[in-house]
Amino acid sequence: MKNAFDEKILDEADQWLEQNKKVILATVVQTWGSSPRPTGSLMIVNDSGDFSGSVSGGCVEGEVVRQCLDLIQEEKKFKKIEFKVSNESAWNVGLACGGEIAIFLEKLEDAA
Amino acid sequence: MQLKILKEIISLKNSKKEFSVITNLKTGKSYIFFIDKTLDEDIKNLEEQIKQSYLSRRDGMIKGSDLFVKNYHRPIKVVVIGAVHIAQFFVEYARHLNLDIYIIDPRGYFASDKRFPTANIINLWPKEAFQYCPLDDNTALIALTHDPKIDDPAIQEGLKQKCFYIGALGSKKTHENRCKRLMENGFNESQTQKIFGPIGIKFGGRSAPEIALSIIFQLMTEIYKQ
Repeated sequence: MKNAFDEKILDEADQWLEQNKKVILATVVQTWGSSPRPTGSLMIVNDSGDFSGSVSGGCVEGEVVRQCLDLIQEEKKFKKIEFKVSNESAWNVGLACGGEIAIFLEKLEDAA
Repeated sequence: MQLKILKEIISLKNSKKEFSVITNLKTGKSYIFFIDKTLDEDIKNLEEQIKQSYLSRRDGMIKGSDLFVKNYHRPIKVVVIGAVHIAQFFVEYARHLNLDIYIIDPRGYFASDKRFPTANIINLWPKEAFQYCPLDDNTALIALTHDPKIDDPAIQEGLKQKCFYIGALGSKKTHENRCKRLMENGFNESQTQKIFGPIGIKFGGRSAPEIALSIIFQLMTEIYKQ
């Protein structure tokens, strides 16, 4: 049996939208090896740079926020990003645990 | 994701419906899937795999496609008998576990909204209360009054309906007596053995918040065993 552990992320996203913020939803869509958060984990980012939820154990959230802020500026509605094993040149954006994750970023908005 | 879909997900979750959200990672389009409804034409060819993902309760990509499935399931129901001190901490700690908690207590001065501002309280005797809040094998039952008048009928119903977890407050001696009474009422030993009594995982604490914590830990362990 599995409980539907729900972090109320989507409700929070809705509150942000009501405050006229632009919001990006980030979902972990694939994982390989050991990853701190399972597939389906959610995180949201708004145009003020606030974020809620998580897609890792804190390893890549900073970079996800940056990518989301970029996406807000762009024409496209969504993109997929991947993180691999951390290396020295990017010690703050890799997964120290040695896992890999793919994250889908999408704008919460109606088609223009 | 379109705002219409976001709103629909939130409202379905609030009404405790079970469904999946399917996202095409190539087009960005989202769909809402129900087990008893037909899918949109453009993803209908993957219906079988989507159903499997829904039934397995595992989120993930549909193999060989661009579709990602996230499943939403009804929260597990937990029925607490006794609007007592421990129950207050139980509700407080369980807030972030998304359990669907009901508190039953026929004593009005216990079962008050002031004591439980966020819980579903049923101020009735267990037998009457179960008409509004039926037990089944997906329900956990926690008996905390240690008053046989209130706890016993609830535990009997819990055993009949095969609640996946039944725990009862009280010392070893109290629990022995409780099991004896249940046997006198036609229940057998294999049934009474399913009851966690004394309730909770033993770690030394005896205060109300500590007992509440030990119950949550035991309940969650049983949830994952199922």
